[in-house]
Amino acid sequence: MGRIKVMIYKILLAIWMNLIIAAVFLYVEPAAGFPGEVSRILFFHVPMAWVATLAFLLSMIASSVYLITRKVSADFLAQSSAELGFLFCFLATVTGSIFAKATWGSFWNWDPRETSIVMLLMIYGAYFVLRSAVPDHEKRRVFAGVYSILAFCTVPFLVFIVPRITSSLHPEDTLNPAGPGMDMKTLIFFLGSLCAYTALFVWMLRLKVRMLRIMDNEQGVKFKI
Amino acid sequence: MENGLGFVAAVNLIIWAGITLYLFVLDRRLKKLEQRSGDRDQAAGMDVHYEK
Repeated sequence: MGRIKVMIYKILLAIWMNLIIAAVFLYVEPAAGFPGEVSRILFFHVPMAWVATLAFLLSMIASSVYLITRKVSADFLAQSSAELGFLFCFLATVTGSIFAKATWGSFWNWDPRETSIVMLLMIYGAYFVLRSAVPDHEKRRVFAGVYSILAFCTVPFLVFIVPRITSSLHPEDTLNPAGPGMDMKTLIFFLGSLCAYTALFVWMLRLKVRMLRIMDNEQGVKFKI
Repeated sequence: MENGLGFVAAVNLIIWAGITLYLFVLDRRLKKLEQRSGDRDQAAGMDVHYEK
């Protein structure tokens, strides 16, 4: 892909994100059944949770590729993806907490959804501890790869199953100004926000991978792509 | 604008503009580092390929 083309995509993403933010606050109506304007946070909270899940999935795939092919670039991708997944998971927790305060009166309620996301953060936190605890490059990459695959096994369980098999305060149909489902205006901006956050993740991921590559090169470890 | 919604939107926009600016600056710095590292490797006769 040409550099100019990539630059155009980045500028378009910046404009797109600004439009989404402006529209979410000034154009879309808040969902019914929630106090004040609090439901608008879902245009940010859900895409962050989605990007976190996507990043953990990508980390698991890249780790598998590394374990099969032993290509260092796959490990860079796995590490970068896990780091960004952790960041977006943390941001989803913070935005969810703000929503909880406005809706249920407390930042933290030990709701199954809140508990499971904390467990997820701890599991991926341990991934970084593992990476920093092994000094040998090759061993570190293998251990982290195996751990990333095992860590992702918990993601469907903690994100999708646990909150649904127990009673939870977490709403399922929040972005809903007029009954079940989502009205067209809300849906368009919701999907727009999802796309913008996904593109932002891709951009950040590329930067992080390039950064790791340079850092690795500076340490004198050479590789080919 | 009710309930300071415009203010919240403005704060969000400023934060997003800051993040975008930071990412653009980071992108440029990485490009420079890649070029510098690439030039050095070339001078040392090493075969290292960076993603463009």
